[in-house]
Amino acid sequence: MLWVDKYRPKTLDNITAHQHIAQNLKKLVTEQDCPHLLFYGPPGSGKKTLIMALLRQMFGPTAEKVKVENKTWKVDAGSRTLDIELTTLSSTNHVELNPSDAGFQDRYIVQEIIKEMAKNRPIDTKGKKGFKVLVLNEVDKLSREAQHSLRRTMEKYSAYCRLILCCNSSSKVTEAIRSRCLNVRINAPTEEEIVKVLELIGKKEGLQLPSGFAALIAEKSNRSLRRAILSFETCRVQQYPFTSKQVISSMDWEEYVAEIASDIMKEQSPKRLFQVRGKLYELLVNCIPPEIILKRLLYELLKKLDAELKHEVCHWAAYYEHRMRLGQKAIFHIEAFVAKFMSIYKSFLIATFG
Amino acid sequence: MDMEMDIPLPEELEFLESNSHLYEDDYPDLEPPEPYPQQEEPQPPSPSPSSPTDPPLISETQTNGHKRHRSDGLHASTTENTAPSDDKRSRIDDLEPEPVPGEEDWLRYSPPPAREPSPVVKEQEEKIVSRYASQIDGDCIPVTAPSGDRVYAKICRVVREERLNKLHAKAQSGGLILEPVNVLLQRVEQEAFAKALQASSGGQNDISLPETPVVHEQLWVDKYAPSSFSELLSDEQTNREVLLWLKQWDSGVFGSEIRSTSDEVLSALKRHSSITQHQKHSDSNFLRKNRGPRWRNERFRNSNNLDHENSISKGVQDSWNKNSRLTGPPEHKILLLCGPPGLGKTTLAHVAAKHCGYHVVEVNASDDRSSSTIEAKILDVVQMNSVMADSRPKCLVIDEIDGALGEGKGAVEVIVKMVSAEKKSDMGKENVAKEEQPGKKSSKKGRKTASLSRPVICICNDLYAPVLRPLRQVAKVHVFVQPTVSRVVSRLKYICNKEGMKMSSIALTALAEYTECDIRSCLNTLQFLNKKNETLNVLEISSQVVGRKDMSKSVFDIWKEIFQRRKIKRQIKSNNSSSSVSNEFDLLHSLISNRGDYDLILDGIHENFLQLHYHDPVMQKTVKCLKSLGVSDLMHQYILRTQQMPIYVYLPPCAIAVHRLVAQVQKPNIEWPKSYQRCRTMLLEKMEAIRSWHYKIPPYISRHLSTKSFVEDLVSPLLHILSPPTLRPVALQLLSEREKNDLSQLVSTMVSYSITYKNVKSDPLSINPRHEATSDASSISFDPPINDFINFKGYSCGHFILTSAMKQVVLHEVEKQKILQVSIVRSVNSIDGCTKERRDFEEVESSRAQSAKTDQSLACVEKNIENEKNLLNIRQCNPSTSKISSNLASSESATACVKLKSSGDVKKPYSGSSSFFNRFKKLSSKGSQSIDIVVKKEATLERDLRPLLFKFNEGFTNAVKRPVRIREFLL
Repeated sequence: MLWVDKYRPKTLDNITAHQHIAQNLKKLVTEQDCPHLLFYGPPGSGKKTLIMALLRQMFGPTAEKVKVENKTWKVDAGSRTLDIELTTLSSTNHVELNPSDAGFQDRYIVQEIIKEMAKNRPIDTKGKKGFKVLVLNEVDKLSREAQHSLRRTMEKYSAYCRLILCCNSSSKVTEAIRSRCLNVRINAPTEEEIVKVLELIGKKEGLQLPSGFAALIAEKSNRSLRRAILSFETCRVQQYPFTSKQVISSMDWEEYVAEIASDIMKEQSPKRLFQVRGKLYELLVNCIPPEIILKRLLYELLKKLDAELKHEVCHWAAYYEHRMRLGQKAIFHIEAFVAKFMSIYKSFLIATFG
Repeated sequence: MDMEMDIPLPEELEFLESNSHLYEDDYPDLEPPEPYPQQEEPQPPSPSPSSPTDPPLISETQTNGHKRHRSDGLHASTTENTAPSDDKRSRIDDLEPEPVPGEEDWLRYSPPPAREPSPVVKEQEEKIVSRYASQIDGDCIPVTAPSGDRVYAKICRVVREERLNKLHAKAQSGGLILEPVNVLLQRVEQEAFAKALQASSGGQNDISLPETPVVHEQLWVDKYAPSSFSELLSDEQTNREVLLWLKQWDSGVFGSEIRSTSDEVLSALKRHSSITQHQKHSDSNFLRKNRGPRWRNERFRNSNNLDHENSISKGVQDSWNKNSRLTGPPEHKILLLCGPPGLGKTTLAHVAAKHCGYHVVEVNASDDRSSSTIEAKILDVVQMNSVMADSRPKCLVIDEIDGALGEGKGAVEVIVKMVSAEKKSDMGKENVAKEEQPGKKSSKKGRKTASLSRPVICICNDLYAPVLRPLRQVAKVHVFVQPTVSRVVSRLKYICNKEGMKMSSIALTALAEYTECDIRSCLNTLQFLNKKNETLNVLEISSQVVGRKDMSKSVFDIWKEIFQRRKIKRQIKSNNSSSSVSNEFDLLHSLISNRGDYDLILDGIHENFLQLHYHDPVMQKTVKCLKSLGVSDLMHQYILRTQQMPIYVYLPPCAIAVHRLVAQVQKPNIEWPKSYQRCRTMLLEKMEAIRSWHYKIPPYISRHLSTKSFVEDLVSPLLHILSPPTLRPVALQLLSEREKNDLSQLVSTMVSYSITYKNVKSDPLSINPRHEATSDASSISFDPPINDFINFKGYSCGHFILTSAMKQVVLHEVEKQKILQVSIVRSVNSIDGCTKERRDFEEVESSRAQSAKTDQSLACVEKNIENEKNLLNIRQCNPSTSKISSNLASSESATACVKLKSSGDVKKPYSGSSSFFNRFKKLSSKGSQSIDIVVKKEATLERDLRPLLFKFNEGFTNAVKRPVRIREFLL
C-alpha cells in the first residue's frame, strides 16, 4: 500500500493536520445532533479523510465495511425513461456517491435517486442512530437545476437523513444549499503541518530524516498533503538514506506545461500558437482538467514575466477561465489565452526594445 | 426494279407478324413501303423547286456536319460503328437474294432520320449522300447522324448559295438550333407531302396528321431542352466519356457490334417514325436495311417455331456472330454523374442513352425506391425486353439517387449487390461468360442474384453523400463542372431571340454568373420576365431573379469561402467598397446558414486558421479570431443548455468575422477538423481506462482517489515508486534484508492498487522508445497502462524503468501475492463462519494450514523457514514472500487470536464457526495454554497424528532447488 493510504488517519483523534476541526466535529457528533455538512477546500487538504473519520465516529467500525455497487437506475423523466448508471459506495449506514458523474442528467439523480435513498429510513431504529448519511462528492460540479432540486430534499427528509457534501469551492454551490448546511472549510494544510505529518510517517517507517528534508518536500508540495506524502515515498524509493539536497521529482504534466510556457516565451506567432495547440491537446487527452492546465500555465508564465505585465496577464487568465467554464470546448479558450498572452508580451517587447 | 423486289417482302412480314404480337410496334414501320415506291418517282421534282425550305435544310445539315466533325470523340464513336455496318452489309449481300443494284438504293437512304428530307432533294442529282466517298463525285463532306451513322454528302455549292439569301433569316440560327432538327424537318416535309399524298392514296390521309405547333405555354426549359447530342451544353469531355461508356455496352447489349449499329439505326428510325407517320415514306427504303436480319428472324422462327421473339433475335444474332469479336460490358457497370443542380446531368443521361439507341427508363425521387420495388424495376429493365411498346433495349437512369435517405438506400444496395454478384460470377469463367450472355437474357428466371446487363446511370448532386459510399467504389464517377459562361450565354441569347425577347448579352452574362451557370434557373427566370414583359436589368439582377437557388455547398467549399478572399469580385465592385463588403457578408451568411452544421464549420475554422498566411505583427488578429470562436462556443453551449434554437442565427457572423480578419488571396490548404474529435475520443478512452481500473481497486483506497487527483497528483509519484532504481536485478535470495523489505513493499503496493505487468505484443507505436525491451519480441508493461498518462508527445520523462527481467520477477511476485491474498481471505472467511457453503478439499487444507500456523506462531514467533515450508505447503516459495504472507495472514484474526491465547483468556472469536473447524480450534486453544516447549511437543504430536499432506502447487518456483528428505520436514 502507498503511504498515503497506509497512514491515513482512521479516527478523528488521530488526525494531525486539522486537529481543531476534528475536535469540533467530534463534539458535534457526540452531542447526537448532526446537521447537514458541507466540506470545502482545495484538493489534497484532507476533506475525505475527515469525512471518513467522522463516519467512523458516528457509526463505529461498521462504517469502514464498504462495498461498491454499480447500478443502473431507471428514471422516469416525463415522456421517456432514462437509464442512469451510477456507482455507489455504501455501508449499512451511509451511501457515498458522485452525482455529477451523470453529466447533464445529474438533475434526475438528485430528484429521483437521492430522494429515494433519503426516503428509506434505516430499519434498525432501535439502535442508537436514527439516521443515515448520504455523502455527495463534487457538489460544485452539479448543475444549477440539480442543486435547486437538492434543497427540498435536504429539508424534507432531514429527520432521518443527513447529507455530507464535499466540494472544492463553495462558490459554485448555491446560497440556498450553503445556508442549509454547516459549512466546514478545510484549508490546505500549512507547511508546518505537512512537515509534522511527514516526520510522523518517517518515524513509523523507521527512517532517518535529515533536518530540513521534510520542509523541502513540504515546500515543493504546493501545500497538498497527498502530494507531499507521495513525493516523500518517491524520494524514499529513489534514494535512501536521504540527503538534504536530494532532487524531488515533480509532476510530469507540470514539466510539460513548463515546456509549453517556455515555448510561448520564445516566440509569439500564429505558427507557434499552432504548435502550442498540439501540446495542449496532448495534455487534455491525458485527462488533465483544462482549469488546472490554465492555472499552471499562468503560474509558469508569471515566473518569467516582467512585474508590470503580471497584473494584466492574470486578469486575462481569469477572463478566459471564466469563459472556459461557460463554454464547452476548453481548447478554444486556453488557446485564446495563449494568443492574448502572446499579443501582450510581444507588444511589450516591441515597446521596450523597439 | 427494286420496287418489285421490295413489295412482296413487307407483305410477307405483315402476314407473319399479324399472328404474333411481338412486332406490333414495328408494324407501322413495315406497312408504309407499299405506297412509298409508287410515290417516290413522281415526287422529287415537285417539292424541291416548289418548296423553298428544302435547300437550307441541306445547309443546315452541312453546318451540322461541320460541327460534328470538330468533336473528335463523337467522331471516333461513330466511325467505330460504320465499320461493322459495312461488315453487315456485306453479309447481307451474301445472304439476301436481293440483287446488287438494290443495295445502292438502300444505302442512299441509310442516313438516319435527322436528315430525312435531304434525300428528297438529292433525287435530282444522283448520289449526294452515300456511305462511301467514292460514290460521290466532286467534293464531299462526312456527316454523322444523331444515331451514329456516318455518310458522305456531296457539297453542291451552287444550289446552296443560290438559296442562301432567301433563307437567311432561318439559316442564321446555325447549328445551335434548339428545336430538334428532325421536328423542323418533319414539319417541312409534312407540308410538302401532304398534297401529293392526298392525291395518290386517300387511305394514308387519315393517318397523317400535321404536327401540332409548339405550345407556347410550355416551359422554356422543356421547350429548349437539347434533344441531340451535339446540342448539349455540358462539358464536352464529360459528354464524350459518357457516350463512350455507353458505347462500351454495345457488344453486350446489342449482341454484337453489327447488331448494335442496326439496332441503333432501327431505334433512330422508330423514334423518328413515332414522331410523324409521314416519315414512313421516306423511311421505306431505309427499312430495307433492317429487313435483312428481321426477315431472317422470321424465317428462322418459321422453321423452328420458337416462342420467344427476343431470344430469337438475340439468339440469331449470336449464332451469326459466334466468330465475331465479343467484348463484354465495360469495367464499371454503373455510371455516376454528379454535380450541382441545373447543369444538365439528367439531360445528358437521356440524350446520350437515346443517342446510343436505348430506351430510357427513369427512376427518380418521386418514385417508390424501396429495395424491393427497385429490384423488380431493375430486373425488368436489365433483363427483359419489352414485348409491347418498344423493342429497344432499356437504359436505367436513376435520378436523384442521393435524395431520399431511407428508401434511396434500397436502390444503392440493390445495384451494388448486382454488381458484386456479377463480379463474382465473372471470376474464373471469363469464357463461359460469353456464352452466358444470351442465356441470361432469354431466361430471366432461375438466377438468384441477377447481374447487370444493361447500362445504369445514376445521378446525384452530392457525390459524398453517405448513402453513396458503397456505390462510389463500384461506379465510374463523372463530376460535372459548370459550363463556361459564354456557352450558356450564347444559348440563352439564342432562346431569347427565338422568343422575341430583347436581351443584352451583358445582362445575360450577369444572369448566368449570378445563377452559377444553372441553365434551368436562367431559363426559368427569363421566361418569368418575359411573361411580365420586363427586361433583365443588370443592376437589379438580384431583385429580379425570383426564387434564388438554395445553394447548399459542401463544408470544404464553405471553409474555402471563409479563408479565401475573392479577388475578381473585388475588382469589379471596387467602386463601391461598402456594398462589396455587405455583398460578401450576405454571400457568406447565406452559405453558412444554408449549410447549417455550425459546429463543424467553426471547428474547421479553428483547425485551419492558424495555417493561413496573414499579416499579424502583434497577434491582434489571432486574438480576435479566437475571441469570436470563443463567443461561438459560449453561444453553442448556451443553446444546448437552454434549448433556445433561435439563437443559432447568431452563429454565422462569428465565422464571417474570422473571414474579415484572416482571409487570404491564395488558395488555402484546408484539412478536415480531426484533432478535436480525436482528442475527445481519446479522452473518453482514457477516462474509461481509469474508471475500470478504479473499480478493481478495493474501495478503502479507491474512495479517496478521484480521476482528477489521480492524474494531477498520483501518476508521476506512483510510477516512480513502482520502479525503484534501488532494486538490484539479481536473484531474490541474493537480496539483502532491506531490499527484500522494499520488494515486498512494492509488491503489496502493486497488489493493493491492482496493478500488474502484462506481456504486450511488440508494437512499435506503443512502446516507449527508451523502453529496455524494445528489441524483444514482446515487452512487459503495466496492466492498467498508467504510464500512458504521462506519455505526452515530445516530452521525455525522467522515469526510471525496470529491466524486463526485474519486471518478470515483480510480476511473478505479484501473481503469487494475489493468490495468497485470495486464499487468506477465503480462509479467514471460513474461520469467521461467514461462508456457509460447502468446503472443498482445498479450502479444508488451507484452513488447516491456517490453524496450524496459529500453532506455529504461538510456538515460535521468529519463524523457522523450514517449518514454515513444512506447514504451509501452499507457500513453498521463497522466504521473503512467505514472510509477507504470514504478515498479511496475521492481519486480523490470527494476530488477535495469538494475543488472546497468550494471555490465556480463551475468548471465542470463532464462536459461529462450524464444527469442523472447532475441532482444530480446540486443539489449538489447548496448545496455547501450555508453555512453549510443551507447545512444540504438542505441535509435533499433532503433526504426527495427522498424515502429511502434500499439495502440488501448480505454477512455478524461483527457489534454489536442492534435494530434501521427507524426514527433515517432519522434524
